[in-house]
Amino acid sequence: MRSALGNIFETAGNYGAKASGLLFERTGMLMAWQWLLLGLVPILIVLLYFLKLKRQPLEVPSTYLWHKSIEDLRVNSVWQRLRRSLLLYLQLLFIGLVAWTLLRPTIQGKRLIGNRFIFLVDNSASMGATDVEPTRLDEAKKRVGELIDEMRTGDVAMLVSFSDGAKVEQSFSEEPRELHRRLEAIQQTDRSTSLAEALRVASGLANPGRSSNREDAGDVQVAEAEPARLYIFSDGKFPKVKDFSFGHLEPVYVIIGEQDAANVAIAAFTTARGEDNLDHLQAFARLDNHGGEKVSVNAELSLDGELIDAKRIEIEPGDSTGVEYNPESVETGVLKLSIDANDALAIDNAAWTTINARRRGKVLLVKQDDDEYLERALGTDRVRELADVTIRTADFLSKPDYRKQADGGGYDVVIYDRCRPEQMPQANTLFIGQLPLGGDWKADAKVDVPQIIDVDHAHPLMHIVAMGDVLIVEGTPLFPPSGGTTLIDTQAGAMFAIAPREGYEDAVLGFTIVDPAGKVGVGTNWPTKASFPVFVLNVIEYLGGARSSLDSGSVRPGQPVAWRSDTPAERIQVKPPQGAPFDVARGPLNTFNVTSTADVGVYEVRAGEQGLGSFAVNLFDSNESDVRPALELGVGDYKVVGSTHREPARRDLWKIVLLAALAVLLVEWYIYNRRVYV
Amino acid sequence: MTPTSELLSPELLAQLERLELVSRKIFRGRMKGERRSKRKGQSVEFADFRNYVHGDDLRFIDWNSYARLDKLFLKLFLEEEDLHFYALIDASASMDFGDPTKLAYAKQLAASLAFIGLVRSDRVKIETVGQPARQSGPMWRGRRSLWQMLDHLEHIAPGEPAPLAEGVKNFCLRNSGKGIVVLISDLMDKHGYQDALRYLMARQMDVYVIQVLSQEEIEPDVKGDLRLIDCEDEDMAEITVSAPLLKRYKQNLAAFVEGAREFCNRRGMSYILAKNQLPVDQLVSNYLRQRGLVR
Repeated sequence: MRSALGNIFETAGNYGAKASGLLFERTGMLMAWQWLLLGLVPILIVLLYFLKLKRQPLEVPSTYLWHKSIEDLRVNSVWQRLRRSLLLYLQLLFIGLVAWTLLRPTIQGKRLIGNRFIFLVDNSASMGATDVEPTRLDEAKKRVGELIDEMRTGDVAMLVSFSDGAKVEQSFSEEPRELHRRLEAIQQTDRSTSLAEALRVASGLANPGRSSNREDAGDVQVAEAEPARLYIFSDGKFPKVKDFSFGHLEPVYVIIGEQDAANVAIAAFTTARGEDNLDHLQAFARLDNHGGEKVSVNAELSLDGELIDAKRIEIEPGDSTGVEYNPESVETGVLKLSIDANDALAIDNAAWTTINARRRGKVLLVKQDDDEYLERALGTDRVRELADVTIRTADFLSKPDYRKQADGGGYDVVIYDRCRPEQMPQANTLFIGQLPLGGDWKADAKVDVPQIIDVDHAHPLMHIVAMGDVLIVEGTPLFPPSGGTTLIDTQAGAMFAIAPREGYEDAVLGFTIVDPAGKVGVGTNWPTKASFPVFVLNVIEYLGGARSSLDSGSVRPGQPVAWRSDTPAERIQVKPPQGAPFDVARGPLNTFNVTSTADVGVYEVRAGEQGLGSFAVNLFDSNESDVRPALELGVGDYKVVGSTHREPARRDLWKIVLLAALAVLLVEWYIYNRRVYV
Repeated sequence: MTPTSELLSPELLAQLERLELVSRKIFRGRMKGERRSKRKGQSVEFADFRNYVHGDDLRFIDWNSYARLDKLFLKLFLEEEDLHFYALIDASASMDFGDPTKLAYAKQLAASLAFIGLVRSDRVKIETVGQPARQSGPMWRGRRSLWQMLDHLEHIAPGEPAPLAEGVKNFCLRNSGKGIVVLISDLMDKHGYQDALRYLMARQMDVYVIQVLSQEEIEPDVKGDLRLIDCEDEDMAEITVSAPLLKRYKQNLAAFVEGAREFCNRRGMSYILAKNQLPVDQLVSNYLRQRGLVR
């Protein structure tokens, strides 16, 4: 039962708490008798002190000299008295501090609301920004730690880290020590950010009912959904999360990062061979200025560690600038572009691209007897430089030689002109006037003279392929499977599209080049145009692997890399930019799938002693590079407004107070024993 | 036979045997001793002649001179005489402190000096301050008395209540003779040591004051809140040990020692400060030799 006195104390405490900015709140409210007991302690000490501290008797030969000494010292008796009481004051101070410790003193007395918490900690690349000392991730961890300290007995908390995926570091636990340990274990990654998975993980664990099927009568709810508070510690640099409802979760978005954080990033870095001269190499880069002020940076290009070019670049705030380098003849090597920007995020201040030894593509053309245009287009010098072309007629498809080569990855690209194999080859394909096997591709009925209305010139296959003057006599509108891209669009539908297939790509042309059965004998006037050999060259370069061998393209951190190689070895060794090399076994599709690409930098690939080349992993993510934190999160239809200020956290002071008490005790002991005064 | 005792080790004895007590004053001994006196007397050592006067002992007339000069001359010889040596030990309760206790130290010192005296056939007497006024202690002479002397010393127990001044006064009343007196005390008497020393001075004795202090008195190793109890009069002093207090105590002690030294020097007495940590043989052979008590 609470007594009136206890209530008075509590009321007084509450008034005090409201009045003061720096709040000292007591959580363990004491009962009246406890207060009385506590109040008696100092009184007892004073009484004991004055009722005579026990002096130890000591027999001495003579007190003669001692008496004399005491009398001499008594001259300044005020100081003497004060000094004599010094120990009393120290003891009172000590008891006061200990009593305060027992009251569990805190700063800022807002309690955590609720008793179930989910802490989502962003550890994506942008959390490595140093606008908050030492890094944003450390700041986030610190704040989570403060909240964990906050938990009372019976509170449970879950810890989830997320970048492009989510990882449950610790499922619901009420062990603060375990939570702290797991929190400390969260590591910075170079990956991009996606909140969706983290939200689903949190929601699935927090609201178990949601993960079960309510429609199913046989499905038993494993646990009752319980409300939980969801703390998101992030800079909010990720796409809006669609199709998610918080349900019982109560989100709190804690913004980590400074609004005025500035960053200059290399947003893209790639190389290309000159159109006129294949030996001529060009390097292109795009620099973004994610800041409020105009910046000027030195962009240095180095090849295998040796500086080969440098440029001074000025970028307006919020703008981006392209940089072009002409390193001329570079056969192989690693190009590194680095900028000397002193900004918040260091990871995007360097980018790499690798130039591997050019590999001749292996091309098989399965043609009809009447075709000559394709054969002629494949006979140019450029194509011969890039690839070995084998030309066979359709009956070759039924021969065991073809089966062996096609299944064994013997070709890089197979062009099927108005024919199709019995089984899809282990290679990229270009189908002309025919759909690939499998039924994923669909086609409409033939239409006459489809008018080209759009060409995707951004795609390497249609790069500088002018289709303005190309006429098509007859075409089949195509419906590529999911993941496919339309490259030539007509008013009737797609006439040329490309879609991935188990690590390969199938391109399908909806019209034929030659059509002797048709009304005019040819399917299109394209072969008479200059764009046709360019298109064929693109096919050889892109699908035939010639381009990919030049530039492995940009791989984002965490993205898998399918490494193709002629090597007969069953295992390759990959040496990441940090850490120990690891082995990768040959995959089912004749590729080596490298999945450990978490760090940005250059990954060297070897097969035993033989170097196979290298590939680069770059951030190239303007979301991550733009380090200015988002003020709100869009989740479904819900907007979570962030708070920059510290989530009210009750910080325990008792440790500090106890330390102070111990210090007082030490001083008292020292004075008692050594009798040294100021 | 080499006597051994806790007070006198064989090594110490051997060292002491070579020494003798010296007095700066001339005293008349009662018995012939081994000490040359300024008095002329009977001995084998010739000193001087003088004219015969009526009543002189005819045995000392130099008949050879009479035959040659026809005048009566008396041959004078140096008289060898003994010396009175008194050791006065303060056996008050305050002397029972320290390691070794000040009393033990005082006894050993007294034994050493007394032994020197015994060897040189001086008359040796050891008394304590607290001895009753009329009870005179035994007097020893000659090496034979060593055991008796040591036995007497052994029986001196601490805790005699008499004040220093009264004890010295009694000593002076008992022992009228002249000689060397060595007072061994800590001088820690609430009534002061001055009166006591004045009594000794009045006896025209060759006075040596040896103040014995223990290490605990010189460098007190105390801490905390203490109630100091005087072992003699149960007087109490409550102290809270502090650096200034200890400093003041040491200043007072130094002033006390210096006061005693000056008091003695002004009155022709020899003052020697003995710390109980200093071995007795060193004290005797170095310090006391320097001060001329022994040679």
